[in-house]
Amino acid sequence: MLLTLIRRELLDNLMTFRFVATVVIMLLLVVANIPVLINDYDQRLEGYNAAVNANHERMQERTTYSSVSISWDVVRPPNLLSIFNVGLDKRLSNEIFVFYGYVPTLWDGQVHGSTNPLLNLFSSIDIVFVFEVVLSLMALIFAYDALAGERERGTLRLVLTHPVSRAKILLAKYISAMMCLLVPLLMSFLLVVILLTTSPIVSLKVDDFLRIGGIVLSSIAYLSIFYLIGLLISVITRRTSTALMLAMFVWGFLVLVYPNVILVLITSAESSQERLVPAFNQIEQIWEEFDRERKDYLANDPIPGEDSHLGVAGGSGFDEIWHKAKSTLLYTYLAISYVNKLDDEFEPRVPHVQNYYRTIVPKTIDAAERAWLVRKQALESVFFRPAIVDRIFLRFSPVGMYDASTQAWAGTDLFGLRDFYEATRKYRRTLIDYLYDKNAFGDRKWFSSDKGAVDWDSSPQFSFQRSDVHVSAKRALPDLLLMLMMNLILFWGIFLVFQRSEV
Amino acid sequence: MIWHITKRELYDNLISLRFALTTVLLFVLMLINAVIHIQEHPERMQKYHDATTASVNTLRSRTDLFSIAQQGPGNLYKKPSPLYFCAEGGDIFLTNYVYGIPTVQISDNLRAFWSVYYPGAFPNVFNVRPDTVKVDWGFVIGYVLSLITILFTFDSISGERERGTLRLMLSNSVPRHTILIGKFLGALVSISVPFTFAILMNLSIISVSSDVHLGADAWIRLIIIFIIAILYLCLFIALGLLVSSSVQNSVTSLVILLLTWCVFVIFIPSTFASIASGFSSPMTYDEYFKRRHQNIEELKEEYVALLQETRGFPNKKIQIDSEYVTKGTEQEERLSQEQLTQQIDQIQLARSVTRISPVTLFQHLLEGFVGTGFERHQHFLENVQRYTHEYREFVTDMDRADPNSLHIIGVREGMSQKPVDPESIPTFEDKLSLSHDFNVAAIDLFLLILFFVVLVSGTYLRFISVEV
Repeated sequence: MLLTLIRRELLDNLMTFRFVATVVIMLLLVVANIPVLINDYDQRLEGYNAAVNANHERMQERTTYSSVSISWDVVRPPNLLSIFNVGLDKRLSNEIFVFYGYVPTLWDGQVHGSTNPLLNLFSSIDIVFVFEVVLSLMALIFAYDALAGERERGTLRLVLTHPVSRAKILLAKYISAMMCLLVPLLMSFLLVVILLTTSPIVSLKVDDFLRIGGIVLSSIAYLSIFYLIGLLISVITRRTSTALMLAMFVWGFLVLVYPNVILVLITSAESSQERLVPAFNQIEQIWEEFDRERKDYLANDPIPGEDSHLGVAGGSGFDEIWHKAKSTLLYTYLAISYVNKLDDEFEPRVPHVQNYYRTIVPKTIDAAERAWLVRKQALESVFFRPAIVDRIFLRFSPVGMYDASTQAWAGTDLFGLRDFYEATRKYRRTLIDYLYDKNAFGDRKWFSSDKGAVDWDSSPQFSFQRSDVHVSAKRALPDLLLMLMMNLILFWGIFLVFQRSEV
Repeated sequence: MIWHITKRELYDNLISLRFALTTVLLFVLMLINAVIHIQEHPERMQKYHDATTASVNTLRSRTDLFSIAQQGPGNLYKKPSPLYFCAEGGDIFLTNYVYGIPTVQISDNLRAFWSVYYPGAFPNVFNVRPDTVKVDWGFVIGYVLSLITILFTFDSISGERERGTLRLMLSNSVPRHTILIGKFLGALVSISVPFTFAILMNLSIISVSSDVHLGADAWIRLIIIFIIAILYLCLFIALGLLVSSSVQNSVTSLVILLLTWCVFVIFIPSTFASIASGFSSPMTYDEYFKRRHQNIEELKEEYVALLQETRGFPNKKIQIDSEYVTKGTEQEERLSQEQLTQQIDQIQLARSVTRISPVTLFQHLLEGFVGTGFERHQHFLENVQRYTHEYREFVTDMDRADPNSLHIIGVREGMSQKPVDPESIPTFEDKLSLSHDFNVAAIDLFLLILFFVVLVSGTYLRFISVEV
């Protein structure tokens, strides 16, 4: 009996205009967008390579350890799966300066100069967005008259005269509609994968396929939620026209209005800047203490005045910068020395300078680590936590859950991008260890290249790999489960209402 | 008879579910919009005010002509629009200031004059919060209300045909176009009633608040915006009627309309913009800095070489200095101008291509009359350029007016030494002009009307010839 019902429903659905129209539109949108997205990815890749090369060149010009240490710019590669869900991949900083004197965070990066910033005026599009809008609409259009229509036409009564349970009817409707709806979904995914694999620019690995599989799963769950919402509307309303209106307004609210309005409503009026002040003062104290120690050292050593640049030629070949940014709690001290030629008269000073750097640089590192402990907490509570809260509120709409889970699969979510900054912190640690190994701080090459430049080719190189697929899966799973749970609740609700409703 | 049909439509709609939902939705959205504007606007104005005062004060603190000529006016700020709540226009992606400071060092003690530099805006680089669209009138009308319009019109003819009432109506001696006009007006009135009330509520909240001041100019603009919004609604009503009259049943009509809406309102603006912006690749910042560096190095070399040649003629040195100051300034300005032009061209092309979507047209118009967004940004840049010219004229004039000056601009010794009255230095004020906005908006307005006319005549022809 179930099979007969399913077959009937399937035929009913497949022959409709709405089915054909949605399939065609979905495929058209995918075909139109994929080349654009690939091209965009390609351009970003080019920008990435250019930035890497530029950094490499800049590195070549440096001759002393202290000047190399400010050239370790690290670039974030674009994520291929941003084609599916761009998330924060395009938006957040993609270049960051790794330096022993501070611990890099998300808020210290910059955008490497390869794009036209005005292009941000146009909203960017991705495959998940297409699904988000079209799939949900399609699901509702399929569902709104599933029960209300039958009731109006009286066929529901007819079906129920047979010895068939209501649960079965519901199940048959659900299964057959989902089968229909899966056709355009899977076809478009197939099309995307075909277009991606045939493109010479991108090459998909096994890892990527697993992630795309995850995105498909999330899409199915999302589709099913909207179908069930439509079915719920259909079962509680008497007339199809009411059901249709309600369904459309629900769609407009969930997809268009809620995600945009809710964030405005929950934004606290309190400015984040004020909340950063105490932390900034604390950090300032740490660095002032460091500066006092530095000055004490200078006062107590046998040579009067500043040691760091040997007193050569009025300080040319030397930069000393205090870098402070209140809005992101950045505070650091940079001293870079790049003396090319040393006159004999300064030669006796060299050991003093070596001693100076041997003492001061580790102290700088130490101050940076201490400041980081304060900074980490403050940034976390002022910037990171509100962003998490925002995302929790977004999840009240299925769109939010779907977006979050697909971002997690693609690795373009907040956590995925945080991995990159985590990697830069690790890289900084390796570099410091490397410098310690080489005994670089006490080395003459720290400040002067007159006896040969540093060989930095052997220094550790940075590489960033998106976190493993199982990590992404772990991040995507809560949302996926949430969606499944919502499916079950909706189905249960529909069942209860349908059981009791009069025909 | 038209009135009769309109009235019937109106009564039908007034008691319907969609009317109630629409009213609630519009009021809530407009309320949120107003409250946010009242919260944010004073802060925005205060920021602008503080920033301009600061830069005017630094400008006025200079008394000698040379430092005025060299240091320049500092940062020049774009004035925020009081109608910001109507259309945000992507303003956060457009910088609200340009630099006017000296940047080129020719030699250790020679510096080029100030020039204008256009910084790029990357407002979201540190922003980890999720993306949202600002809830402004542009969003409420452009997206929400257009969707609602479709929901009001999809069944207006196909529904009657399904129920058979269309045949009944036509059996009376009513010409078909009367029915069409009646339907059109009915839909228009039933949507614009809640819309108008929502807007009035929004405006009354905003104008009652003491923090926001709307002048006469702003009210004229609001009226124009309202008219454009109604035109935009008419466009969608016509679209709805067209589809509704050419399709047999109302579900098909709705599916077609919704898909058309999705494609034209949601997808075309971003997809077409991406496609069009792929055609050109403007100078990147890396390239810009590379070329700039190269230019300055060349200039320095030339200058040093020339100085070597003329050693021993101190009078000549002033001439050369002056010449190189001018050269350096011009070169710097030309390069930043070139980059800006290329960037703007790319955006212009993308904007023209997306004009195929009515929502883009509507948003362009809204931005144009509100005074936000891209066209406004360009107007601001024009103002800056005009001011730059004026400022430089001022320096030359002051110098010319002083008989003791050597009239060699660019070098301290060559220029007038007389103190300058700080009040007489021209200051930058960013102005909006309605006539300018009209000129800019003309093309969008024309296209919007054209779309409307095409759709209306299409509907008319369709409905005249359709079988009932």
